[in-house]
Amino acid sequence: MIEFSPEVIRTVIRTASLIGAGAALIAGVGPGIGMGYAAGKATSAVRRQPQARGAIITTMLLGQIISGSTGIYSLVIAIFLVFNT
Amino acid sequence: MNPGPQIKFYLFNKEYLPVTDTLIVGWVSVILILILAKYLTSNLKMRPEGKQNVAEMIIELIYDQIEPMLPNEGWRFLPFIATIFIYVGFSNLIGLVPGVTSPTGDLNTTLGLALVVFIVVQLEGMREHGVWGYIKSFAEPVIFLLPINVIGELAKPISHSFRLFGNIVGGGIIMTLIYQAAPALVPVPLHAWFDFFVGMIQALIFGMVAIAYISVAKS
Repeated sequence: MIEFSPEVIRTVIRTASLIGAGAALIAGVGPGIGMGYAAGKATSAVRRQPQARGAIITTMLLGQIISGSTGIYSLVIAIFLVFNT
Repeated sequence: MNPGPQIKFYLFNKEYLPVTDTLIVGWVSVILILILAKYLTSNLKMRPEGKQNVAEMIIELIYDQIEPMLPNEGWRFLPFIATIFIYVGFSNLIGLVPGVTSPTGDLNTTLGLALVVFIVVQLEGMREHGVWGYIKSFAEPVIFLLPINVIGELAKPISHSFRLFGNIVGGGIIMTLIYQAAPALVPVPLHAWFDFFVGMIQALIFGMVAIAYISVAKS
């Protein structure tokens, strides 16, 4: 049985949480793809109906922000991992 | 996370809940909103002019969001949604003042607001379907979905509060990093983005998601 000093254990936990914080931000890929897709669809919608530009942009922004919140959750988890341990 | 500067109270060697800067800035913004609302709505006329136009513009902007999602009940929900919208928007904007942290950059504020919305959603659902009818609606269409529906309902205030908190804190952290790298000129357009644009959009989203939750509970 190997005994570790508390300092070693703390360092390992800190390292693991920092790696975890970095890994959590991989979740930024998904919202990026989703928001880009929404922006592309909005662009083609504006091309088809230029007079509805304002309503399209508002709807696009709302949808993008709702779909972007999954990325925000990963950011929150990363912030907790960095600052809480 | 680092709770920031605190004022602590001691009475008979017992420590009480500390007063954080979130609490102070939150109350200051409440008082500022009260003064602003009093100023904007004083001396109302049938033909609006000057400051009354601003007040009507804000109210109509919020009303136009509520009415399509909750038909014929726009005026009933306007005070609640407008309170949330104006408070969150003002709290995000107050972060523009140097040295002041937004109250919405604290999970306590956003979770409190989200819990208020959660309670209103439950009460509105019960009002619409009756207490037993609302509880029964969780077990539809089959009884096996009951735990999933309950968890989904409980996840709403968490996602609702984390969205606002994450956006404001993320913007704040990026601004802190920018200030360390380039203290002059560069942060100005970024302040316009992170505090003004993102703050306004997030306030609108916070209110709109609250409306969406209420309309889902009522349908």
